[in-house]
Amino acid sequence: MINRIIRQIQRYKGWFGGAAALCIFLGLYIGLLASPPDYYQGELVRIMYVHVPLAHTSTMAYSVLFFGSIWYLWKRDPLVDNMCQASASICALFTTLALITGSIWAKPTWNTWWTWDPRLVSFTVLLLILGGYIMLRRLVDDPVQGGRYAAILAIVGGIDLPIIKFSVEWWRTLHQPMSFSTRGVSISEDILVPLTLMSIGCWLLFAYMVMVRTQILYLTDLLHAKKGRFLSQTHFSQTTP
Amino acid sequence: MPFFKTIRWVVWKDLISEWRTRETMSSMLFFALIVILVFSFSFSMDQDAARQLIAGIIWVAFTFTGIIGLGKSFTSELQNDCLESLQMCPAPKGAIYLGKVAANFLFMLSVEILLFPLFVLFFNLDVIEAVGTLLIIFSLATLGLAAVGTLFSALTVQIRAREVMLPVLLLPLAIPVMIAAVEATRGALSGDPFSFYSQWIQLLIIFDIIFTVVSFWLFEFILDS
Amino acid sequence: MIAIQVSNLSKAYGFYRIFEDLSFDIHPGECFALFGPNGAGKTTLLRILATLQAPSQGHFTIFGQDGVAQKDTVREIIMLIAHGSHLYDELSATENLQFALGLRGQTPSPPQIKRALDRTGIGAFADLKIRQFSAGMKKRLDFAKTILAQPQLLLLDEPYNALDHDGVAITNQLIQETLDRAGTVFMTTHDRDKATQIATRGGILKGGHLQLLSSEQLTTDAIF
Repeated sequence: MINRIIRQIQRYKGWFGGAAALCIFLGLYIGLLASPPDYYQGELVRIMYVHVPLAHTSTMAYSVLFFGSIWYLWKRDPLVDNMCQASASICALFTTLALITGSIWAKPTWNTWWTWDPRLVSFTVLLLILGGYIMLRRLVDDPVQGGRYAAILAIVGGIDLPIIKFSVEWWRTLHQPMSFSTRGVSISEDILVPLTLMSIGCWLLFAYMVMVRTQILYLTDLLHAKKGRFLSQTHFSQTTP
Repeated sequence: MPFFKTIRWVVWKDLISEWRTRETMSSMLFFALIVILVFSFSFSMDQDAARQLIAGIIWVAFTFTGIIGLGKSFTSELQNDCLESLQMCPAPKGAIYLGKVAANFLFMLSVEILLFPLFVLFFNLDVIEAVGTLLIIFSLATLGLAAVGTLFSALTVQIRAREVMLPVLLLPLAIPVMIAAVEATRGALSGDPFSFYSQWIQLLIIFDIIFTVVSFWLFEFILDS
Repeated sequence: MIAIQVSNLSKAYGFYRIFEDLSFDIHPGECFALFGPNGAGKTTLLRILATLQAPSQGHFTIFGQDGVAQKDTVREIIMLIAHGSHLYDELSATENLQFALGLRGQTPSPPQIKRALDRTGIGAFADLKIRQFSAGMKKRLDFAKTILAQPQLLLLDEPYNALDHDGVAITNQLIQETLDRAGTVFMTTHDRDKATQIATRGGILKGGHLQLLSSEQLTTDAIF
């Protein structure tokens, strides 16, 4: 008996995947080829069309994980746990990509691959927390207990991340002035169109990936249960007098 | 009130066990001594360099020794399956959490108070005026570490590779405490006026409140099956 | 009032299922002995009744309280004596009793503690640390806990392990006292001779199913 929500996902996930591909394709085309170079940053602005949507999506992915974890501790629905597990690994993927593209962007603009910028630090910590989350799930024997522990970590991490970002920001302003910030850049229409397209595309891509991954996790659990029933039946029939 | 009685019983039990063996605190002390030695050899420091680095060194030593104490807090419950009896006792789980936090806080703070004179001695610090402020900073930062650390100590004690997982999970989350504690300690040691670093003490207080409340609520999900 | 009411209880570890669809009632004043081969799930069933593990399916009530939803009320009226003694090595026997009872919200007076320790035959070791106790002495101290706590349901996991001849006699006497005050005892054991001296009913858990035994069947050899 397959869950109703899983059936709905099977039905609609293709739309998300298709829309994501369309948005990302259009966004990349406009951003990388069709739009003019930025007045201040020149051709470098084009990295932003990839980096900023990735970073936004990874923040959003963590919010999904955070609220999903609260929901899971509250309702104990195994499907929600599957969704949390799916969002965590995909969030880790987006965070890694955001860090790499951020580093590539930092080299020409700040003339260094790495700087203790609050956003960079908080994304690194986010990646560390997600790494801990994924490890934690593997290290618990009982999968239900593992889901509960992982949810606890995700909740504590979700509350801590804004505090981490805030404290690093404070710490940085104390020791050296803030370096280049995207907030200072005036957003012109040339930038806005590809940026919006790419952001929507990345969000849709994330949604699509979570759907597929949740499905896989759910069906794997179901298969294990079925296999277990089969194993248990042979066990029962062998030992019943 | 059964709630406060439970807290008292847990603290009483942990303190009495520790007093009889002195296992946790002596291992914390020796580890911290080694950390101090390693640091003084890795940086050949004059007075000025020491002033710059000392706050960081103090908190690296305190945090790592704290993790040793926090880890022992729940591994000691594994003997004779005592954790099982904590799980199935009718007392409120939050009270058990607060009792454990209080005990861990006391262990960590006592080790810190014992260690601090050694820092003063080894690194020639001038601290007479700052002692009161430092005590407040140490207490607040230790409370923050103990609040999150006790939660994760209980969480990691029931999984594989627990000795590795406690620092792996705890240290990233403790970054705000580390930053605030180091900055406030640096300020207090260099004799700045209080208003220069009071913001860090505020941050410590906020962190302590948020994470005591959150962990208090989440602890129930760790101990309950 | 039914002491333990189990309906359609199932437990699976991940994908491996231990037992399925167990249903039985145990009434106050009964001592139920659960037999079965190693790995049949005796301890798992006991731990579910002790609220230490959640059942995968089905539900159970202890003296009318739901074992999952009203866990906290259930915990006030049950007590488990398990393989681990739940004692702290660095505390003395008296201190361990004070702590365990303290967490149950009780404060026994020193004479009460003395009496409980004397009853279980370890009164002479009241101030000795548990580190120096033998396995049998620890078990006796666990029984001293139940004398003070007076639980309505006593759950015993292999109670006769590590006990000498006197220890078994004391155990059975304490079980009888629990039954006399309309309490209930549920034990897992493979020591049939000792269990049948006291058990009023029993069951064999085998291959995921429970076969119930009446008191007459308990004493007939054919069933085992």
